[in-house]
This record gives sequence, structure tokens and C-alpha cells, in this order.
Amino acid sequence: MRPLSPGVRLGALALTCIVIVLIALITSGANPAQVLTTLLTDSFRSPTAFADTLKRFCPYMILGVAVFWALRAGLFNIGVEGQFLMGGMTGTVVALQAGGMGGVLLGAAAGMVAGAAWALPAAWIRAYRGGHEVISTIMLNMIAFQLSNHLVSGPIMDPDAGFPTTRTLGPQDMLSGVPVGQITVNWALVIAFGLVMGFGWWLRKTVAGYELSVVGANPTAGSFAGIDVKRTTFAALLASGALAGFGGGLQAVAFEGRFYMGFSTGYGFDALGVAILAGGNPIGIIPSAFAYGLLQQGALAVQTLHVPPGIATLILSLLVVLFSAIRYGKVRHSNG
Amino acid sequence: MSIVALEGITQRFGDFVALDNVSLHVRKGDLHAVVGENGAGKTTLMRILYGALTPSEGRVIVQGQERHYRSSREAIADRIGMVSQHYAIIPELTCLQNLMLGAEPGAFMNLRQCEDRANVLAEQMGFTFDWHARAETLGPAGAQKLEILKLLWRDAEIMILDEPTAMLSPRDADALFESLRKLASQGATVILVTHRLPEVIEYCQRVTVLRGGKLIDDQDVQDLAKAQLAELIVGHALTAFEERELPQGETALNVQNLVVRGDRGNDAVKSASFQVRKGELVGLAGVDGNGQKELFHALMGTRGFTGLANLNGEDLSGRTTRDRLAAGVRIIAEDRHAEALVEEWSLSDNAVLGFQRLPSFRVGAGINEATKAERTRQFIAKFNTKCTSAGQAIGSLSGGNQQRFIAARALGENPSLVLAFQPARGLDIDATRAVYQGLRDACSQGAGALIVSFDLDELLEFCDRILVINGGVVSAPHQKERAEIGQLMVGAI
Amino acid sequence: MVDMSFITNWLMFAAILGLAALGGMFSERSGIVNIALEGMMLMSACVTALVGGTSGSPMIGLIAGLVSACLLGIAHWALTQFYRLDQIVSGMGINLFAYGATNFIALSFFKPEVPNQFLPIPVYFWCALIALAASWFMFNRMRAGLRLLAIGENPDKARTTGIEPVQVRLWALVFAGILCGLSGALVVTNSGGFGDNLTAGRGFIALAALILGGWRPVSVAVACLAFAAFEAAQIQFQGSPILGYQLPAAFWKSLPFLITLIALAGLMGRTKAPAGLGKM
Repeated sequence: MRPLSPGVRLGALALTCIVIVLIALITSGANPAQVLTTLLTDSFRSPTAFADTLKRFCPYMILGVAVFWALRAGLFNIGVEGQFLMGGMTGTVVALQAGGMGGVLLGAAAGMVAGAAWALPAAWIRAYRGGHEVISTIMLNMIAFQLSNHLVSGPIMDPDAGFPTTRTLGPQDMLSGVPVGQITVNWALVIAFGLVMGFGWWLRKTVAGYELSVVGANPTAGSFAGIDVKRTTFAALLASGALAGFGGGLQAVAFEGRFYMGFSTGYGFDALGVAILAGGNPIGIIPSAFAYGLLQQGALAVQTLHVPPGIATLILSLLVVLFSAIRYGKVRHSNG
Repeated sequence: MSIVALEGITQRFGDFVALDNVSLHVRKGDLHAVVGENGAGKTTLMRILYGALTPSEGRVIVQGQERHYRSSREAIADRIGMVSQHYAIIPELTCLQNLMLGAEPGAFMNLRQCEDRANVLAEQMGFTFDWHARAETLGPAGAQKLEILKLLWRDAEIMILDEPTAMLSPRDADALFESLRKLASQGATVILVTHRLPEVIEYCQRVTVLRGGKLIDDQDVQDLAKAQLAELIVGHALTAFEERELPQGETALNVQNLVVRGDRGNDAVKSASFQVRKGELVGLAGVDGNGQKELFHALMGTRGFTGLANLNGEDLSGRTTRDRLAAGVRIIAEDRHAEALVEEWSLSDNAVLGFQRLPSFRVGAGINEATKAERTRQFIAKFNTKCTSAGQAIGSLSGGNQQRFIAARALGENPSLVLAFQPARGLDIDATRAVYQGLRDACSQGAGALIVSFDLDELLEFCDRILVINGGVVSAPHQKERAEIGQLMVGAI
Repeated sequence: MVDMSFITNWLMFAAILGLAALGGMFSERSGIVNIALEGMMLMSACVTALVGGTSGSPMIGLIAGLVSACLLGIAHWALTQFYRLDQIVSGMGINLFAYGATNFIALSFFKPEVPNQFLPIPVYFWCALIALAASWFMFNRMRAGLRLLAIGENPDKARTTGIEPVQVRLWALVFAGILCGLSGALVVTNSGGFGDNLTAGRGFIALAALILGGWRPVSVAVACLAFAAFEAAQIQFQGSPILGYQLPAAFWKSLPFLITLIALAGLMGRTKAPAGLGKM
């Protein structure tokens, strides 16, 4: 069997994806064009909608960096969801205790520590015991779901609330923002931008970034080049977890103000897609995170057209697959 | 009449012509050698006969019938079998499973019947096997024997062996040829791909010489002398590598009672003691898997050791690989894909690999781009690596060109000790000489070199002194002399 | 204390996990990492319920469910083998796709007035037992099993003996699809109807059992029985104290994952993954 040319193969895949989406849209009974327009533009409909989009944009960027960092070291941190949850929960509890601007700082820091702690077993198992990080982080995610649900519906639950949530931080205990036109841009967004840029510089320009990339591309060659592969691996997963936890803490003190069952709408899982769609360049995380924020916001709006919100997840999953196929196809091509 | 006839075979890969109008005629019952340098097209030609490649032009005639194989499966059905240079033995499976794999008796297997047949075949060749042991317990010689039984299991009558002695000690190689003779006398035809000329002269009836993808000569072996054959292969007369006085420099590397633990918890290197002096090329002869790799890893710092290892008077134990690189230890690694390169990256990004922490390559927290560009240029020029630009992905170069770049990198940045594992792997004779000349030049500026090769002739030709490693024991022969070293390699002394 | 409902729950969960884990074993023994067990189960659960209800035939429902899971398995095969996608990325994409698609299908097509129709649960028990026996027999006495083991350990060397790994993997993933499909169908049969994220991470527990069992049929089955016992115990002991302590449900639910983590750390003796897992 002669292999098909890359163009034909990718074309066939793209066509399949489009057909699946079209079938879904048509069978739902709505007007496909209208659904797509709503999905893509709902964020710009009103200041509230745009603010909601930004609220998602921020964790997508931070978690995107977290995933990207590990990915560059050849590690799949599927655990960002659990690390984000643990960071959000710990951050909220600490911020509630401390209060004020100090509470904001402590909350974000506590989130970072919690995230790192949640990544620690996976980092240790991967670097020093040889167990695969994908499996261990999946396990840690499941434990994080159980633990956070258990705590928020008992020990740390607000006794006056009718559903599992902690108490809510007052506005003075939260991170503020700068008003831009009709919306407020939270400082957390500025921090997230800074993180992406800083990480991009670190990865491309420093010796430490070079060594991280060597470990990801060929760990054995790395050890012959004087790189402590185990330590680099350990540090990369820990840093990834710390960032994800920081994202959770920041989300609590900047946007949510509390921790509740459903605190994460799957940010951590989406972040894997964010990092993949970013391509080879960390700066790509910014547009890719924004696209995710846009589509997930649109997913809520299409329900008014009687289209289930699952359509956004479906489209995003196909996009990730298609994009990876194009990228891997290219890499292979350059190797002959 | 020829049992196999390849006529006018041309094979192109893109613009590259691997074989240009090559013909091969093999008589039934012969041991037929196909010789040539790395890259001459020997393996490509054999893969065509085995059905693993479809030629761009030309005819494949087997037992008088023209064939158009689309896969090896069809060649196997024509009773053609091939043992490639890297054995197809899967270590995790048992010997019996390996024997049957790909040629099972049916959808369901009666293991007892299979074992009976396996024993019959083994007896026929005078081999013994524990069929239910995992294949990882086999040494290179055992694996080679199992490969030969696999050919018999598949009823192969035309047997292609690609560099079968590359991993064998001289004694095991002799035993292999006895087996092959026996098979030929029973009616099999053996096609042997090799670059070792003594075995061609001694055992084969006919020889085909390829060079640069072209057919150079095709004749009976009895009319040939080794020197003649060598000249045919290389294309010009070879002058012997310039002999020289053994340099009497100070000791660069001093190893005393070095013990290195292997992967299976055994001692892979047993109390080795030796010196490498400045300016000296020391060859480490031995069959693969006798502790060479562990010794190199221990000296490089990627594996622990006990005992003493000093470089220029400084103790290496407790030093990290990074420290040793800074002290001038360089390695030309065994497996260039896995150990020496990031294949998807450019030549210039690979030029930094291993030097990224050296002061000369750094500015602040970053990499000095000017040094990087300059060194990349030097490394490419040193052994004439053929590439389109420094930005080209190194994985897209041929193996030989990758090896040139790796060797240049190891010798480029003031080495004090070069650990070279098969430095000439994948290189033709001229490039091999250039690399060894490069090693000599680097050493004349104060470095010492320890060189592992599985090709004893190569070491005898190029090295100043030879050590032998067998079963982890390092010993020094009295003289640089083939017979004694051959004996030491199998522990016969 | 231990009564019949404990035993039936135990066997039920064991069958769910066992079917999925054996499915995962076929995939991973062929060298393809499969974190998409969850997605294949979810898809099959949804389609089995939908088609079973609308066609009025539980058998047709089950077949449709199995086909849908197989299609996802084939997608995983095509994406990893032809498009050279990273196996984790592909698996994750399939999980997300299944999550989105089942949410979409459930909300668009399920009609409350159409009653669900399912095959009786014992059918699935027998399927699980047969799958276990068949996979043992296959690995030890059949050509297909030997070839599967070979490509899972070393695809390059297997290729030189004339085996085409890509072809073997296709049917390995079809098998994985059928077994995960059965598992998903059992989940929806047990719950009586489909809902968002119905499988609730059971595919990942199956993955854990696969690793704990060292990719070997009988050991995997034992791991599934152990994990299923935790889940059954959680229902059994809900609210009632053990030795004076009231253990929260979250503890029982976390236990399989905790044990797998400890096993991954090599603290319970090492299991060896197929050497070619993840290689082309």
C-alpha cells in the first residue's frame, strides 16, 4: 500500500472533522451559521459577557504555561486540573483566614504551594521511581476531586449556604483591577501575561531553558551532555504543579472569591488543549487561551438556541486533534 | 545456472541513487560474499532481494522465475531468509516464541509439537537451547545461532546474512562459518554481506564488490589476494596508516581497581587497572557486551563506580558529568541517535550540546550566540560534514555525516580525554582515516584517547596500544599482535 | 454484615472494570497507550441507551454501542499510526470528544417518553468471564497473541520477521473498542439511563487496574476484583462506622487511585510495562 501524500491525508482528516460538526449542527435543528456565529462572538455581545470571557482567559493562560513547561521536558502533566483545584481550595481557605491585601498574597502563595505539593508524588515517581506521569497525575486528579468535594461539603463548607461552598471573600479581600472602558481588567490578567512572556524568554534564551528542552527531546543525550535529567524532570513537574496551583489560588482571590463544588469547569483539561494549540512557541499560548475562553463562553450562549453546550467541547477536541496532526505531519516531513 | 539473479538493479531514494545498474548472480551451494564500504549499497541490494524494497529499475530472478516482491512475506514464501545486522530477537520473548514468530504453524499452536521440531533443527546444526528461557539470556553468539535456526524453521534455502560476525568474537565467528559451510553442503545458498576481508578470502567461493552504488567486480575468490580486494573496495591503493613511536607522555587517565555495577546487579567491569598517557591512542578490543559500555559510562559520570579513576591527577569519583565535561572529558557515544544528538534540532543547536555550561559558550544566563555560530562552522569544516546549512535538522543528514559532526564536536573544544565508542561507525575508509588522524592530532595537543571498537583490525591499524576486555576483565597483551589478542578476547589465556 | 447486595455489587463493578481493563490490555500490549478507555465506555453507554430505547431492541442497542466504541478505537488507531499523533494527545482528544458528543446526543435526542431497554445484566458477567479466558488463551496458545506480544515488546524487530505492526494494532484496537463498549453498556444498564459523565472515571480505574496487574490477564482480573470490592464496600458501609471510625465515601472512592500511586512508586514490587509501549 502506497502511503497517501500528507496533503491528502490531512485533507481527509479535516473533512471528517467538518462533517462531524456539520452533522451535529444540522441534527440539533438550529441554523449552523447562527450557532457558529454565537459560539465565536457571544463574548463581544456585552461587557458582562466579555468580563466572563476574561475570567476564563486568565486561568487558561497560566495553566497553559504550566502544561507547556512540563511538555517541553517531555512530560504530560494531565494533573493540572487537580493541582488547580487544590490550589484554589487552599488559596481560598488561607485568604479567608488572613484577609486584606496580605490575604490575597498569602492565598496565591498558598495555592502555589498546594499545587506543587499535589504534583510532588507524580514528580518523584517519574524522576526517581520510573512510574509514568500520565498515570500518576490521572490518579492524583481523581483523588483531588474526591478530597475537594468531601472538604467543601463538610469541614470547610459555609454552614449558612444551601450547597457545597466556602464563605465568600469581601471585595476588600480580593485582587482588584484597572477599569478599561466599560470593563475592569483584573491585575491577575496582567500577571498571567507577564508569566507567558517571562516563560517564553526563559525557555528560548537561557541555558536552563535549553537544558529543559534537551531533556524533553532526548533525555539520554542530555545525560551525556552533563544535564541531571532526573533533577530537571523532577523540577519541571514541580514547577508545572506550582504554576497550576498558583492559577487556582489566583482564580479564587481575583475572580471567584470562594471555593465551591464546580470551581473548575475543566480548566485543567482544557489547558492541555491550550498548550497543544499554542504550537512550538510559548507566546502562542495567548491566542490559544483566548480562543478557548471565547468558545467556552459561546458554549453557554448556544443553549439559548437549544444547542447543548457539549458542542464546544466537541469542536475543541476536533481542533486539537487536527492541529496536532498538522504539526506532527510537518515534523515528520522535515526529517524526510 | 544461478539460483538468484539480480539484473540491472537501480534504486533511487528521491534524488539519491543508492544503486546504479547493479547485477548479482549467485550459484546454488555457494558462500557468496557481497563486499563494499559503508554506503556502497550492499544492504540496499539485499533488501531488494528480500522483498523489503521494490527496486526503481531492474529484474529479480529467483530459481529461474522473474519475481516482483511487494513484501518480505512473498520472498519468504520463495524460501529466501535474511538475518539483518541487528538481530530480530526480541529479548522479552522466550527462545521458542522467537523461533516461531512470523512463521507460526497455524492460528493455534501446539507448543509441544513446536518444541519437538525446534529440537530436531537444533540437533541438525549441533546447537542446544533452553527453549523456555527468555531470549535476553542469550549472548551475541547464542542470538546468532537462534537466527540461523529461524532460517531453517522457515525452510529458507537462500540465506542472506548481513554482517553476521560484527558482534562475534573471532572464535565464535569461526564456528559460525563452520555452520554455514555445513548448510551449504546440504544444499543451501548463503549470501554474506561483510566488510571483513579475511573471512571472504578464507570461507567464500565468490565475491561481488560494490562501491558507491556501482558494481565494481564479480569473480571467484581463489583468484584474489586480500590487498587486491581491498583496493577494489576503496577504489585506490591504500598505504598503511603511518606507524609511529609510542609517545611517552605523562599519564592522563589512571584507573586502579575500578569496579562498575551492571544493569543486572553483576559486576560489569571487574577491578580494572590501566593507564592512558597523553598523546596516546589506546584501543579497547573485545566482543560487544563485555563491559565496554559500562566502563565508558562510569568514566563519563553517567554510572557510578568504586575504585580509583584519576584524570590528570584529579579524582573523578564524586564528580558530575558536567564537571567532567568542564575538565575536558569528551565522549563519542555508542548510539548516536539515542545518546549524542537531538535529531529534530539544527546542527548549531546540537553543536552546543554538552558545552552549554562552559564559560566560553555563555553570556549571563544565556548561550553565547556568536560562539555557537563560530563553533558550528568549525565542527562542520573539521571532517567535512555535508549539509546545506547550519540550520538544517541534523537528523536529515546521512549517518556517516552525523558521525563526522559528532567526532568533530568531541575533538573541538580542548579535550583532555576522549572516550570514543566505535568512532568510525558508518564511515567509509577515507573518513575513518580522517577521524583517527583527528584523534591523533587532538592527542598530540595533550589529550589521551580510549577507543572501543568491535573490529579488531581497525584497532590494530590505528591505535598505539591495545587493551582487551572480556567478561569485564581488562588485560594487556604482551604485543600488538592479532593472535594473542584474539585469544584474550574470548578468555582463552 | 456481608450480604447478597454486597456480592452482586462487587461482581457488577468487577465486570465493568474487568471488561474495560482487558480492552485496555489489548491496546497497550500492541504498543498503543490508551487513556481513552473512559471515552469509549462513555460513548457506548450513551449510544446503547439511545438506540436500545428508540429501536425497541436492546440487542440492536448493544450492537450500536459496541460499534460506536469501536469507531473511537479505530480513530485512536488511525490518529496514532497514520497521523503520528502522540498517543496521549489522541487519547485525550477522544475522551474530550466523547464527553462533548454524549452531552450533545443526550440533550438533543433522548426523549423522556421513550422507555430504556437493556439486556439482562448476567449477559455481561458471562462476557467478562469469556473475555478473560479468551485473552489468556490467546496470549499463550495463539498466533495472534504471540504477534501481539511481539509488537508490543519491540515493533521494529517484529517488523523484520514479516509482521506488520500497524495491521495487528488495528484489530487490537477493535477488540479494545468491543470490550470497552461492553463495559460502558453495563454501566448504563446498571444505572437504568444515561446522564452526563455517567462513567464517572471508571475508565481510569480500569487503567489503574491494568497497570497494577502488570498487563497480564489474570493479574489484571485480580486487581479489578480488588478495586471493585472497594466500591462495593463504600456502598455497603455508607454511614456505618467501621471499628469506631466513620470513613467518608471519598476515602473508599480514592482508595484504588491511592493504591495505584503506591504501586507506581514501586513500593509494592515492580510490574514491567511492555517494552515497546508508545513506540511506533
